[in-house]
Amino acid sequence: MTEVTGTTWNVYDANTLTQAEIYGRVLCDLAEADSRIVALTADLARSTKIGVFQDKFPHRVFNVGIAEQDLFGIAAGMAKSGLLPFVSTMSAFASMRALEQVRTDICYQNLDVKIIATHGGVSFGQAGTTHHCTEDIAIQRALANMCVIVPADGWETANAVRAAVQRPGPVYIRLGRGFEPTHYENDDYGFEIGKAVTINEGTDITVIACGVAVYHAAEAAKLLKDQDDVSVRVLDVHTIKPIDEAAIMAAVTETRRILVVEEHNVIGGLGSAVADVIAASGKGCAFAKSGLPDCYSEVGYPEDLYSHYCLDGDGIVGTVRELLHREFEADEDWADEF
Amino acid sequence: MAVDSNELPQARTREFLRTRLFLRAALPCVKVMLEDDPATKKRFKGVNAVVQFVARNQPRAVGAYLWFEDGAVRVEQGFWDADGLGREPDITFTFASLEKLNDFFAGKTVLPGIKGVSKPALLAKVVRLLLGLKLMLPSAQPKDAAKRRLKLKLTLYMITTALSQYNKGGDPEMERWTAKQPDRIYQFSVEPEGIAAYLRVRGGQTKAGRGVYERRRPFVHMRFHGVDGALAVMNKEVDFVDGVGKGFVRIDGSPEYAANLNDFMMRVQGLLTG
Repeated sequence: MTEVTGTTWNVYDANTLTQAEIYGRVLCDLAEADSRIVALTADLARSTKIGVFQDKFPHRVFNVGIAEQDLFGIAAGMAKSGLLPFVSTMSAFASMRALEQVRTDICYQNLDVKIIATHGGVSFGQAGTTHHCTEDIAIQRALANMCVIVPADGWETANAVRAAVQRPGPVYIRLGRGFEPTHYENDDYGFEIGKAVTINEGTDITVIACGVAVYHAAEAAKLLKDQDDVSVRVLDVHTIKPIDEAAIMAAVTETRRILVVEEHNVIGGLGSAVADVIAASGKGCAFAKSGLPDCYSEVGYPEDLYSHYCLDGDGIVGTVRELLHREFEADEDWADEF
Repeated sequence: MAVDSNELPQARTREFLRTRLFLRAALPCVKVMLEDDPATKKRFKGVNAVVQFVARNQPRAVGAYLWFEDGAVRVEQGFWDADGLGREPDITFTFASLEKLNDFFAGKTVLPGIKGVSKPALLAKVVRLLLGLKLMLPSAQPKDAAKRRLKLKLTLYMITTALSQYNKGGDPEMERWTAKQPDRIYQFSVEPEGIAAYLRVRGGQTKAGRGVYERRRPFVHMRFHGVDGALAVMNKEVDFVDGVGKGFVRIDGSPEYAANLNDFMMRVQGLLTG
């Protein structure tokens, strides 16, 4: 942790904001080839790493001041006039303070605005509950036309930003603070919006995760293999909307036990999106969601908070062990057939 | 009426386990013979009878019966209970001990006491049906393609049920092996014939099932290619590894657990042929 140097939202110097750094660099590359791309921020250029873009394209960056509602209203106007705005701010502001503008100005008109929401979940741990954001996935996925992506790490962020440019309409990309562990080794693993990535093959249970939980789920799968000889499938469902129904249903039919892990309230996020798919299919399975149990988050280091809410490797291992023993079939008939 | 045979004092003995496998895994194969073998089916058309098998044992006897109803058969454990039907079993085979019953079903020469000799036609049909079970013995090498297919189907059905019964009968090693497993499917299939059977294991429970388990992906899937290839492997005409090399069988899933299962299959086979 670095020194306190200013107002609330740059309390912690974000020079090592990995995901956002990558976002800034990728955006620079894209802007070289696409003159429509502009970047907007609300006095958070440093925290959201738009500074890199500003150095290279000073005439294509717009800092509207601490006025998030204006930020999204202006972005909508720019998109309407043919530009391709990338709007960067903290997820709490993007999803709640400026919700009406995101909904009515951007989504209702299905405008080409890309929202880069940093400091999602409890990643801004010590900054306090007001600066955590554990409701944004639920809010954003309820907005018609909105595409919602929660990358696992910096590499996936790069892929998500590139893919967002190609996808017409609004896109919400939720990032962490930047100190999260990296799962992927590079960006060449076949990222596609709406297609889950199978991190680990398994047949006993599937752990579905997004964001930083992907790394922890992969760690948990290794622990469970080593300690319990349990075969865990891990899916990185980076796109919450449109969600990969085929991958979810394959997991349901092939493993019959599903645990969803996310840095979000257990209501309305990835877990709910997965539950929607399963409920609509009529298939039965043992199902559990790990996240914040419908409460406001505690304050502390992110790693401690992940542990507290069972979102780290050990926590996921515990939940998987519990889920493996849960009964879920009404017709448990163990008589041999003939 | 089912008898809770696991409660008997000798329930965990080798001989009792053999009886369990014969009565609950091998004897039910007559059902497949009646369904799949046209000659057998024709022979039992219109037959309505009860045929009981009893092995004397202390403190109580052990038994099972076949209940024929117009060509179809049900295999029930325990003893025929007239339950208002007002009739005794048409034929009862009585064995002096569990060992005698086991040897009879293993194909050895054993003469049981037979009540019901006054129904020679039925007795002849039943004896012929029981002799048909010898098709499952490794020594049986039918040339006819339909018989070979039947042999394979009987063997797969019998072995998956025998594995399940081996666990339910309380073999300590099998119990330990099944106890630690979450919900897993051990699938056997023979393509392109479409013969399939599976063993489901979860937390110490087991179930043998027919066909392909559709509700989850198998943890281990033994895919046999063709009846001849499958029989060669199952009859130990070729070593399992050679069978893989020759393309007779392929294993998808955990090789360690497949090997464990194979060990249990060998033990079960040892009990049934020993």
